[in-house]
Amino acid sequence: MLRYTIKRLLHCVVTVLIVVSIVSLLLSLMPTDYYFTEDQLIKLTDEQKESQLAAAGLLDSPFVQLFNFLKQLILKGDLGTSRRIQNGVPVVDVIGGKFAISMKMGCIALVISLFLGIPMGILQAKNKDGVFDHVGAAYTIFVNAVPRLISYSLVLVLGVRLLKLPSMYSTRNVFVSSILPIVCLSMGSIASYALWMRRYMVDELTKDYIKLAQVKGLSMRTIMFKHVLRNAFVPMAQNLPTSFLLTIGGSLLVERFFSVPGLGPLLTDSITRYDIPMVRGLVLLYASLGVIGLFLGDVLMTIFDPRIRLTGKGGDTR
Amino acid sequence: MESRTVNTTAELEKELGMKESELFSFVEYRPSEAERIGYSEYSYWKSVFRNFFKNKAAVVMMIVFFMIFIFSFIALRIGKYDYQSLRSDTNLCFILPNSEYWFGTDNLGRDYWCQVWFATQTSIKLAAIVAAGECLVGVTLGCIWGYVRKADRFFTELYNIINSVPTMIYMTLIALMIGQSFWVMCASIILFHWLYMAKNVRNLVFMYRDREYNLASRCLGTKIGRILTRNILPYLISVIILRVALSIPSTIALETTLSYLGLGLDVNTPSLGILLRNSRAYFLDYPYLLIFPAIIVSLVTITFYLAGNAFSDAADPRNHV
Amino acid sequence: MKKLLAILLAVAMLAGILTACSSDSATVKQGVKNWVTYLTLANEMETFNILYSQNNKELQVLTNCFDGLLSQDSRGNLIPACAEEWGTEDGGKTWTFKLRKGIQWVDMNGNAMQEVKAEDWLVGLEWVLNFHKNAATNTSMPIEMIEGAGDYYTYTAGYTPAAADADDAAKEKAAKAKEKFEAVCAKYNLDPTPLTEEQGKALGLDLFKTMVGIEAPDDYTIVYHCVAEIPYFATVSTYNCLYPACQALIDQLGVDGFLACTNENMWYNGCYTITHYVQGNEKVLTKNPKYWDDKCALFDTVTYKMVESGDVAYQMFQAGELDYIELTESNLRTIYNNPDHEFHNNLVEARPTKYSYQIHLVYDKHFEDGTPDTNWNTAVANENFRLAWYYGLDATPYLSRTNFINPQKCANFCYTMTNLVSFSNGTEYTARVRELLGITENSETYARVDAAKAAEYKEKAMAELSAKGVTFPVEVDYYIQGSSQTALDTANVLKQMFSDYLGDDFVVLNIKTYISSLATEVRNPRLASFFINGWGADYGDPQNYLGQETYGQDNAYYSVSYSKINDATDPELIATYKEFTEMVDKANAIVGDMDARYEAYAQAEAYMIQHALVIPWYKNVLWQLTRTNDYSHVYSLYGIQGNKFKNWETAEDIYTTADYNKFAEDYNK
Repeated sequence: MLRYTIKRLLHCVVTVLIVVSIVSLLLSLMPTDYYFTEDQLIKLTDEQKESQLAAAGLLDSPFVQLFNFLKQLILKGDLGTSRRIQNGVPVVDVIGGKFAISMKMGCIALVISLFLGIPMGILQAKNKDGVFDHVGAAYTIFVNAVPRLISYSLVLVLGVRLLKLPSMYSTRNVFVSSILPIVCLSMGSIASYALWMRRYMVDELTKDYIKLAQVKGLSMRTIMFKHVLRNAFVPMAQNLPTSFLLTIGGSLLVERFFSVPGLGPLLTDSITRYDIPMVRGLVLLYASLGVIGLFLGDVLMTIFDPRIRLTGKGGDTR
Repeated sequence: MESRTVNTTAELEKELGMKESELFSFVEYRPSEAERIGYSEYSYWKSVFRNFFKNKAAVVMMIVFFMIFIFSFIALRIGKYDYQSLRSDTNLCFILPNSEYWFGTDNLGRDYWCQVWFATQTSIKLAAIVAAGECLVGVTLGCIWGYVRKADRFFTELYNIINSVPTMIYMTLIALMIGQSFWVMCASIILFHWLYMAKNVRNLVFMYRDREYNLASRCLGTKIGRILTRNILPYLISVIILRVALSIPSTIALETTLSYLGLGLDVNTPSLGILLRNSRAYFLDYPYLLIFPAIIVSLVTITFYLAGNAFSDAADPRNHV
Repeated sequence: MKKLLAILLAVAMLAGILTACSSDSATVKQGVKNWVTYLTLANEMETFNILYSQNNKELQVLTNCFDGLLSQDSRGNLIPACAEEWGTEDGGKTWTFKLRKGIQWVDMNGNAMQEVKAEDWLVGLEWVLNFHKNAATNTSMPIEMIEGAGDYYTYTAGYTPAAADADDAAKEKAAKAKEKFEAVCAKYNLDPTPLTEEQGKALGLDLFKTMVGIEAPDDYTIVYHCVAEIPYFATVSTYNCLYPACQALIDQLGVDGFLACTNENMWYNGCYTITHYVQGNEKVLTKNPKYWDDKCALFDTVTYKMVESGDVAYQMFQAGELDYIELTESNLRTIYNNPDHEFHNNLVEARPTKYSYQIHLVYDKHFEDGTPDTNWNTAVANENFRLAWYYGLDATPYLSRTNFINPQKCANFCYTMTNLVSFSNGTEYTARVRELLGITENSETYARVDAAKAAEYKEKAMAELSAKGVTFPVEVDYYIQGSSQTALDTANVLKQMFSDYLGDDFVVLNIKTYISSLATEVRNPRLASFFINGWGADYGDPQNYLGQETYGQDNAYYSVSYSKINDATDPELIATYKEFTEMVDKANAIVGDMDARYEAYAQAEAYMIQHALVIPWYKNVLWQLTRTNDYSHVYSLYGIQGNKFKNWETAEDIYTTADYNKFAEDYNK
């Protein structure tokens, strides 16, 4: 297992580097005029633009740029400085300032949705075709039926009008102003945890070992919590670490809606503003989180279901 | 499950139409009977559909959905205004639904009826193509990914590479480099979303692959293709169908988000997503602008949710008798 | 004589202002002590360095943090800021500014750090012109106007030798850059090797002083030497390219640190300091306790909330979280058409923004595959074709998108923005242009429109162009940003207007979209047939407007970037353009007599519009709900002074329509 872990982690590093390289190369395909603001395009002469691009190293070939970036990254751990997000500020600082806010909010939302969504799914499965199942289904349907853009608007309007909550996140009044964004963040994931939990539970309930357990005279309760839940949780488990780690990345829509100064909108902003060091830094972050999440997910899955083996040759097809 | 339990000899007598004395007597030896192989009339898909049609709500919703889809063509015919020749006239803006404008008019005074139905067609078309594409690519590659150990590494890498970067970056890059159109949109959604289907499939295949009966099957030299399609796939169908059913509303939702960011369909192809995005600005004062497209989106979603669940229950071979 | 006149003028203005100032502060009604306003997220600042910034998104905030030499009052007149007196003795070649004593640089918390002295302006200009410090931003005006500024920039920028495998064009370019650099070095006896980045950053004031025409004879006097007589140079000093910087702060932060300064480590000399800043969320400006103008009325704090969209902002306004909101078309309609609406009596019209919007025709349009769109290019080169647009397009439905109550207030018939400059007899410059064009504004119709003339020109154009092989209807491509629903709605209105007023047999408008950069995606590949774009002046002279449209000049921004007239081939069109360019150059050469100068410009402008080289379109007059009286604000049609929260009159309750009518009346008395 240890060898596998080390191998896998090394692998992760390679994957991340590949991702960053691909994105960097893609970015160098974009026209360099994105580097300038519309106002700068008005006032700079062609020569001045070229001198700037040359000074920023953007006129080199994509591979040279990539090489320089990797050299800086590996030798000095330096991601460069942002240009259009916050001029001249190191990328690490920009991300560092925003990351905590997204993560805090995302973690709270994740915990809320796990604590509400999973029990909800269990209850639904337990009372399959009962009242609770239908109520749960109605909720899931509503959340999925209404596009996020609209349901967030509704939350915003209702929250502000009826509950008199602030419509905008504020660092000076974190608790109250976080309520609405957290509601929006967890609304959808509660539904999806409940949905999948119910699905897996119901699938599990039809299996033979349940009959055996019933025949053995185990109470429904024991069967549910000792057997079904554990088996049904296996497929859920794999996604947990990733969802946890990706809370750091924040949610694009929610953060834009409530002006939360988190990481969510940063990536699209950086791309459209051609802030290449920023994009690279963010991609590096997201890629690392994603890869590590996947790895932890696999590990978690083997813990919940010992039959699954990550190593060995069991299923080799020759 | 529906296993019968027979309790008394009286019931047995009734059941088999034999007297008690006949029941417990020796049967004559018949060689042909002894050679006969047990055979049932079981057909997987027949059972699936039989079970599915038992779920009235899902069937009704399915019918409603097809009616909406068909009606969207009729609606454009019978409407008083033609989508292609809509006029904007700000003096006619925000007219409530009436006999002239069946769904009222929008902020530019254009008939909302034809816009809504036109958008419905676009959205359903987009969602259906994406769902089909995702399903096809996702299931095929997912099976290979889950089953073929050598491929696992490649696919995991690919998944990591694509999944670890938010879809937005690819969408932005595609929009910037290739442009915006209906087919580009379909292709780019499929290109990045088959992975989730594949991942789901892979996880399940992963779980079933090493089960004893598959080991046995492999020992007996069954071909991979047969193991996948006959032994494993039936177990996956319920999950696949649920995924597909959910991918339809999620495509509509994704399209709304992309439109909001300016990365969606081009402006001359309105979709329900675009209509919803626009109504956001006015829905407090003119709720009908939100309600009509929202009802359609909700109906489509509910249909696929119910139908998806019913079908996935029906598709589970363990529910078949 | 001129010297005396200039000084007298300056003193007279000064006296007027001083009395105005003192009376202002005594009477300014301040109902709101802590002002809360909003900006949309797309307008978040990208830098705090005012010398580096070129974007309104930063300057609208930073203008509150820094004062330059001069500022403007609520009528757009120049008033003293850091400079108490100013003037020129030789008709505009040399300009002297006398600094006020006792202005302080303060830190974020308002602690005095150092006195603001004349040398700070030298440090500021050196920073701007030094390529290694400011990366060429904000250099265009100083290079154009100040002696030696271009040389200093060229020297610091150096040149990059062409790569061995570069093509001939690149090699030639590099050779030219080298030649230019070496010429500068020879002129000033400098070592002709380009500076390294470190050397560039280390440059102090010594070399700069010998090269650039700016000096500080004592701590409180600044003298600028211009390349020629520039009668409007004083107005340039309201722009941030001539703002000061403090050497002590640069030394403390280092060159990179100063470029990337934050609200927490920078020094301020303006009326507010930024005490709280969370990117993408909010910023709080707090009154600067050491501000030199201790009599003016300031807010205790000004809070900017960064919101997702105008719709969210409107909801926040309704919830009482904002003091001001600009209304979108649909909100305005809803409130206006409902007499019971809570804000029905609070609708007030804002003052025009400083931008003058035009239809900029493109004379060298290409298809997406890069081939020229001959059909369009031939059509647009025909004057009758353009005049059919000029007389045919009634902008009223378009104007109603911004202001459906008084659409004609947004009507614009000139290229230069109204109220930019006036003749000495009080006649407003654009009024003269309209007189030359024979347009009388009215509140009912878009005055320029003449359907009969339009039909006549259309017929002529169709006959002439058909003969040249142009196929009708001519396809017209118009680009908007894909994410903007407002832009799409407006474009749809425009499309309808083309169909209604010009006819589907004549032109067809195609709406197309770009994603993030108009310049990269549309302008450079020349995909659009026309642009509707606004220009706000950087200094107070018609040259800043008309100079953008001239033929064959590198710094004519619209010609180079938008209309691409320099690549047009039609001889008649080029002749018209050349004639216009000559008129502008002549006007620019008149420096003594301002009336003659403006008259010459007015003639040139009228000529350009009569030939429909550019078609004037609209200006922005929005409706709003607000607790402040716009007529008490700085009114600035050029430079960066417009958004200063200084001497704002405010009321606890939202102003009513009646209040505003009275303000407008008082103002126009």
